Amino acid sequence: MSIEQIAAKVRSGERVRAEEALDLYRHAPTPVLGRLADSVRARKHPGGIVTYIIDRNVNYTNVCVAKCNFCAFYRPVGSAEGYVLGFEELFRKIDETIAVGGVQLLLQGGHNPDLPLTWYEDLFRAIKGRYPAFKLHALSPPEVIHLSRLSQLPVADIIDRLKAAGLDSIPGGGAEILVDRVRRLLHCYGKATADEWLDVMRQAHRAGLRTTATMMYGTVETDEERLEHLLRLRALQDETGGFTAFITWSYQPSHTELGGVEATGVDYLRTLAIARIVLDNFDNLQASWVTQGGKVGQLSLAYGANDMGSVMIEENVVRAAGAAYCMDEVEIVRNIEDAGFVPMRRNMHYEQLGDPMFRQRDVPRMLELATARAAGEATIPAELRLYPARSRLLKAQRSSLESQDKT
Amino acid sequence: MPVSDAELALLAVSHDIVSIGMQADEVRRARHGTRTTFVRVAQIAADPGAPILALPAAGEMCITGTPASRAAAIERVRQVATAAGNIPVSAFSLADLEQLAVAEGIGLRVLLEDLRAAGLELIADAPIDRLRDARRSIEEVNIAGLVLARLTIHQDRSPDPLSVFKAVATLQRAVGVVRAFAPLPRAIDAARPTTGYEDVKRVALARIVADSVPSIQVDWSLYGPKLAQVALTVGADDVDRVSPEDDQTAGPRRAPLEEIRRNIRAAGLEPVERNGRFDIVRPFESPRVMSSAAGGGAAHDERAR
Ligand code: SF4
Repeated sequence: MSIEQIAAKVRSGERVRAEEALDLYRHAPTPVLGRLADSVRARKHPGGIVTYIIDRNVNYTNVCVAKCNFCAFYRPVGSAEGYVLGFEELFRKIDETIAVGGVQLLLQGGHNPDLPLTWYEDLFRAIKGRYPAFKLHALSPPEVIHLSRLSQLPVADIIDRLKAAGLDSIPGGGAEILVDRVRRLLHCYGKATADEWLDVMRQAHRAGLRTTATMMYGTVETDEERLEHLLRLRALQDETGGFTAFITWSYQPSHTELGGVEATGVDYLRTLAIARIVLDNFDNLQASWVTQGGKVGQLSLAYGANDMGSVMIEENVVRAAGAAYCMDEVEIVRNIEDAGFVPMRRNMHYEQLGDPMFRQRDVPRMLELATARAAGEATIPAELRLYPARSRLLKAQRSSLESQDKT
Repeated sequence: MPVSDAELALLAVSHDIVSIGMQADEVRRARHGTRTTFVRVAQIAADPGAPILALPAAGEMCITGTPASRAAAIERVRQVATAAGNIPVSAFSLADLEQLAVAEGIGLRVLLEDLRAAGLELIADAPIDRLRDARRSIEEVNIAGLVLARLTIHQDRSPDPLSVFKAVATLQRAVGVVRAFAPLPRAIDAARPTTGYEDVKRVALARIVADSVPSIQVDWSLYGPKLAQVALTVGADDVDRVSPEDDQTAGPRRAPLEEIRRNIRAAGLEPVERNGRFDIVRPFESPRVMSSAAGGGAAHDERAR
């Protein structure tokens, strides 16, 4: 089939097959891909509305035993740079988020062996107790699997318990590329195989939770593997319909063990566009301005994206790998309007919440994203003592502290 | 490809940047095909006391900043020209030189001839929105035996850039010596940076309107690799101010020279290194098939763009 024939298929709303998608991805000129993706977006969102969410992206711990080789964020157990945020610190962050009109915390972190399931349950209950309407979009599939292994409970039970404690939805992080050959090379096969990642999402959807899906490209995968990733997501979405959105971003190589270079801006726009074409059963595609910068982030709106993501307020993971872009609500709205779209605040379910917050009341401008903790801040939250240590290092530290207390 | 004023006005208000980009790309390809030039520029401070770092990889040694006086300008050009050897030396903004000539009570041409005698080959830039008399001053550059390296825009960011692009086209019809035009403003307002749509539209419209200017240029160090690469797909054909410091401490694939080539190739174009004289210093090298591991992804098929 020629590119023009495949393009005609996309225009008429027909589903593309794997080999057709590969042909488009490899051979269609970038503007042709952009136009096709834009036609799909316009069909799904005829009103020209581009949404965004005001939420805060918080990483509750950077201590992680998974050690993915593409990750610049994690610190091993016992590292002087390792941290766990305390409940009070998290409450403060929520207060700040609510002050700028935020509705949700995107809460993700490392696989910290010293944070048992009960820590998460207590945290979620405490948050919901204080902020009943505030949403928790938390714990990507590998974190759920980590908790399942740590507590030796099935994934479905973990999801049920977290949901009972206040979990509202699950972010699609940790998907990287859902092909085990790639996952082995990235040292992330152990944290979750492709099937395991998809199964957490399946279980979450069955439990009535909505989730997002992601793809991090530009490491060791082939074009075919990028498409296999998209096709696996499409198949699960056919089965459950539980994904609200898809987000793709390029691997950020700075300070990682894997190293290498970042995929280019044009590659991002092509990848976003092919995702919009292949993921015909996903309503929403986000622009990743946090990895691509505001300019390419805005151009994403011409290549299939209908959502500018989050104002984030805080960011730690991508910054650790070398990218530090910032867009507050004013900037996001300016970019949406400048591209000819209508900006609208939303929640995680993509329900429209209203016009920009800063047009309704004074909201402080934000010219830089916050970090999890101020530089040099190294306090250990008091409540951590209430939870049993699992790592040998923390156990040893605890017993030495206890013997000091006794003497 | 002649475009009527009415069509241009429609393009200028359109949000369909993909179509505008395609139209500009057609003009660009008709003139340059897939060939994309870039120049590595060493930037040297105008102060005669400042150090001059010899960077043999540079294709242009550019003296930046405002000269304090005629004597200081001449002295600095002499110093840099001596250090540059065969590398073309560019210096100063033509707008600053206009002002300096007035302050020194001399004609612009006298000042330009002095600079040429000191070893200057190129006037670094001529910001069309800052020049007192763009046509006359650029003619003086030509008469003095100098070459204008780039016509630029200092700050103009009116939502309708057509008038300034039309002025560029008119200027070029009069002087015929503008080799490259950089349509994105040099002064960036940090509190309200231009958007991606604005930049893409500016580059594309510049290519369409200023069709008698050979090259539409984008500044690599000012606008960054991502926007610069996108600009190459919507009308730009030349990348300015790539760093000549080929620092390989982060690995050869992340060194500036490899980065610029990789970005040009990943846009489906052919990288060609030039110097400040627009002479080719490194011809097009057949691209290796890039693996996705190099961040190339679907960039294997260069015809795809
Ligand atoms: S990507 Fe996540 S799981 Fe992997 S090392 Fe980093 S923090 Fe740990």
